[in-house]
Amino acid sequence: MSTNPEEMSAARRCADASDVELLHAIAAGSQPAFEELRARYRKAVAGVCRAVAGRDHEDCEQEVFARVWRKAALFDPARGSAAAWLLTLTRRTALNVRAGSRAPLPIGAEVEEREGDSVAAPADVDAFWLDGALVRLSERERAVIELTYYGDLTESEIARRLHVPLGSVKSWKRRGLNRLATLLGEDSR
Amino acid sequence: MRHDEAWTRLPDLLDDRDDAELLAHVRACADCQRQLFLLGRVDRLLRHTAGTSARRARIRLRPRLAAAAAAVGVAAAVLVTVLVLQHGRGQPMMFRTASGRAVGHAVMGHSDARNVSLALVGEHLPTTRGHMLVLWAGDRVHTPMLVGQFMVDRRGRCRVHFNLPANHEWSRFWISPPGNAAQVVAST
Repeated sequence: MSTNPEEMSAARRCADASDVELLHAIAAGSQPAFEELRARYRKAVAGVCRAVAGRDHEDCEQEVFARVWRKAALFDPARGSAAAWLLTLTRRTALNVRAGSRAPLPIGAEVEEREGDSVAAPADVDAFWLDGALVRLSERERAVIELTYYGDLTESEIARRLHVPLGSVKSWKRRGLNRLATLLGEDSR
Repeated sequence: MRHDEAWTRLPDLLDDRDDAELLAHVRACADCQRQLFLLGRVDRLLRHTAGTSARRARIRLRPRLAAAAAAVGVAAAVLVTVLVLQHGRGQPMMFRTASGRAVGHAVMGHSDARNVSLALVGEHLPTTRGHMLVLWAGDRVHTPMLVGQFMVDRRGRCRVHFNLPANHEWSRFWISPPGNAAQVVAST
């Protein structure tokens, strides 16, 4: 972890930035912005790579983020959300990896991208976005929301499992849901 | 109620809609209405994605809990079948205004083991400011649930799709303007 005040300040700014702002910063060569975007979407990208590229998913993940670094300037917010762009790029990359004899294609050898090619369905984009947004919550907010929705636990059960007061669970759940809604509003603009 | 307090408590409306003080604030606050709309989308998204195995695996359910979840899943699947049958094997439920005019229809169907789907088609729904409306669902046991907010065009037309938890016996649906659950504009 960096102890350089300037780098720490840049990292904090990136943590508060929207996905669109991060892609613009990456296009301008910002390494902290790239690290922040990778931290947000690493799990989501890994899921798509695993599903499409199979055993080559790790190579696929690396190739996806290499392409994000190279192609961020091509992102146009007028044509769709950052999550949709990232998901489309991930799918194309994974398909290329799968088609390329189970090996990542060298830089510049990827299939030419065409308008409408591999366009992601809205439901897939939403799920992809959600993976990235959950990473932006605090650990305890994320835990409470995942236990509520994916673990089917009541607030009382979550409090017992986490060994915290019921009031804390209610508070973290409210904060987490409000934060997700705010992020959805920002990223949908 | 102060705005920041209401804002903090908005997620409570996803579970419990009986907070008159909070609803009164939301009725008069455009920012809170927008946030509630976004919260509804987040809630539906979380419920929808909860059905995928990869996400559920993250939680690492303990064996006893997993067994209970499996039992609930079977029960939910049975309930979905019952619900679909109860609603006339996918036959449309008509939405009517208080005067009896048909303004839309909805069809319930199977979504996954935990959810039922509801496809709502509006034809001549009353339009409100911002063309936003709210769909509610009720059963005989629980307090009414806010299913989601949706937009209609100038002629009151819409075509929207929602998921509802399958562990309720949904018996009634109605539509209201945002922030005013009591003002029913159409119901089944």
